[in-house]
Amino acid sequence: MHSKESPQEERPPVFKTWKQLYIFVLVLHALIIFLFYLITRAYS
Amino acid sequence: MATLDWIVLVGTLLAIVLYGLWKTRNVDNVQSYLLGDRELKWWTIGLSIMATQASAITFLSTPGQAFDDGMRFAQFYFGLPIAMVILSIFVIPIYYRLKVYTAYEYLEGRFDLRTRTLTAILFLVQRGLAAGITIYAPAIILSTIMEWDLFFTILLIGLVVIFYTVFGGTNAVSQTQKQQMIVILGGMFVAFMIILFRLPEDVSFGDAVGLAGKMGKLNIVDFEFDLDNRYNMWSAMLGGTFLFLSYFGTDQSQVQRYLSGKSLTESRLGLLFNGIFKVPMQFMILFVGIMVFVFFEFTQPPLHFNDANQQKLVGTSYESRYNELQEQHNQVFEDKRLAARELITAIRSDNEATISQAQTKVTALQAQDKVLRTEFKELLREQDPDSDTEDNDYVFIYFVINYLPVGLVGLLIAVIFSAAMSSTASEINALATTSVIDLYRRQIRPNASDQHYLSVSKWMTIGWGLIALAFAAFASLFDNLIEAVNIIGSVFYGTILGIFLVAFFLKRVGGRAVFPSALIAEAIVITVFMLDKADYLHIAYLWLNLIGCVLVVVLSLLSQSLISERKTTAG
Repeated sequence: MHSKESPQEERPPVFKTWKQLYIFVLVLHALIIFLFYLITRAYS
Repeated sequence: MATLDWIVLVGTLLAIVLYGLWKTRNVDNVQSYLLGDRELKWWTIGLSIMATQASAITFLSTPGQAFDDGMRFAQFYFGLPIAMVILSIFVIPIYYRLKVYTAYEYLEGRFDLRTRTLTAILFLVQRGLAAGITIYAPAIILSTIMEWDLFFTILLIGLVVIFYTVFGGTNAVSQTQKQQMIVILGGMFVAFMIILFRLPEDVSFGDAVGLAGKMGKLNIVDFEFDLDNRYNMWSAMLGGTFLFLSYFGTDQSQVQRYLSGKSLTESRLGLLFNGIFKVPMQFMILFVGIMVFVFFEFTQPPLHFNDANQQKLVGTSYESRYNELQEQHNQVFEDKRLAARELITAIRSDNEATISQAQTKVTALQAQDKVLRTEFKELLREQDPDSDTEDNDYVFIYFVINYLPVGLVGLLIAVIFSAAMSSTASEINALATTSVIDLYRRQIRPNASDQHYLSVSKWMTIGWGLIALAFAAFASLFDNLIEAVNIIGSVFYGTILGIFLVAFFLKRVGGRAVFPSALIAEAIVITVFMLDKADYLHIAYLWLNLIGCVLVVVLSLLSQSLISERKTTAG
């Protein structure tokens, strides 16, 4: 993973760095899977 | 279909196509034609990526899959967001820096021309086959249920797509896909709401979900490790991540979508948009299937959802047995409807013992019905051994045709056509680009003018479109073709991804090592696939991606060591 942003690279919207945005996407995905897991368990 | 349905269908498709043509009326050079002048914003890229992947089969088959097997297919996409992040970090910056038209262009600089050519050809074979099926699969279902001529349906889908893709190039594809996704998502949402309205008045949404859950349909996540099980967390996270890395990172039909971005930022955001929304979207499509399942717990479903198959037995010696099965099916349905209501009452009472009792009763009746449906399929096979007896793909379209109001039927058929067209357009656009850039311009005619390449690009688009049409037209002659081609991505993608992984991350490995390694790896993957088909092995197809990829990497490293050792010895 890039540890530093190159000077020419634009920052992403909302987040300060791309790393923060990637983490957001992965955490959101993990939460969605967790929600699916809860639904599966509730009805298993 | 009613007149209003035809007006909605034709009007929707015409509006989409005319919009795409109008937006791309000034395309006059190869860069514009193949990469849309790199002007696209992230939401257009994101929608284009989603539209390319979501073919008509997604909307025809997926609800039927949930109807029959529950929600576990959602796991298939769990590796996708991970793949989007990895591509945004490691792959897109390289493509942008090198200003490539195709993913395979990069491989020449990294390895050699023959590796670029091999990978491009693997792509052309795999995607060329898939393009035909993208047209054929929805056409066969629509023609069967709507009683349209199959050839006419194939031509309708194919010729419209070829027309606007040839005219406007990659930008026409992206612009029309934006509208197509709006139609698709809007149509599916409307279908979902109609299903809810058509449930019995005393059955709420909560009741419907509870009933589906107790009947085993909300089985979204499965943590059991089983190599032979197609859909579980492990095959999804490991095999699925590799599949999507390969598909989005190395398949030109997707690469071309985001290389058309205005900047590296726009392309990354487009991929991440797909990463965020794809899994919820697939969940919703599956959930529509679950609601159709609940609907048919209270409204009599047919014994077999493909009516053409039912009609095959009428007037034959099998008709009396068919009528017996139909009567038994009707009786089981009546019993099951009562049992379903009892289960809902039990769920509301929150009494575990009553719930368990009611659940057992409903499940038993469901199993009885499944036996009757299986017996019907066997009867069909007796009458005609070549019959396609699977009817899951017809469940949703059956519901649309018979239970949606006039006007909305046309809208949902427009959804199916939009999905077919959006995927096919990306495919033939990418096939033409790879043919021109990686083969024709690079190896056959390297020094022609921009206008010459623009003209060749258009002719290649027509050519690949006609090949896809021809393949679709003759697809019905082959048994199990749809299944084979649906799986064929995993037979090729692993090797292609392995080549790219070596390219990106193993800098010490050169073309002399990777080329023979890729050939050997591909041969082994095909062998494993054949052994699985012949029942000597039992391995779900998603794992083929991982196997192919790992083989290329390992063999390349070994080959490079041998080559380096020989050099040292010789030196």
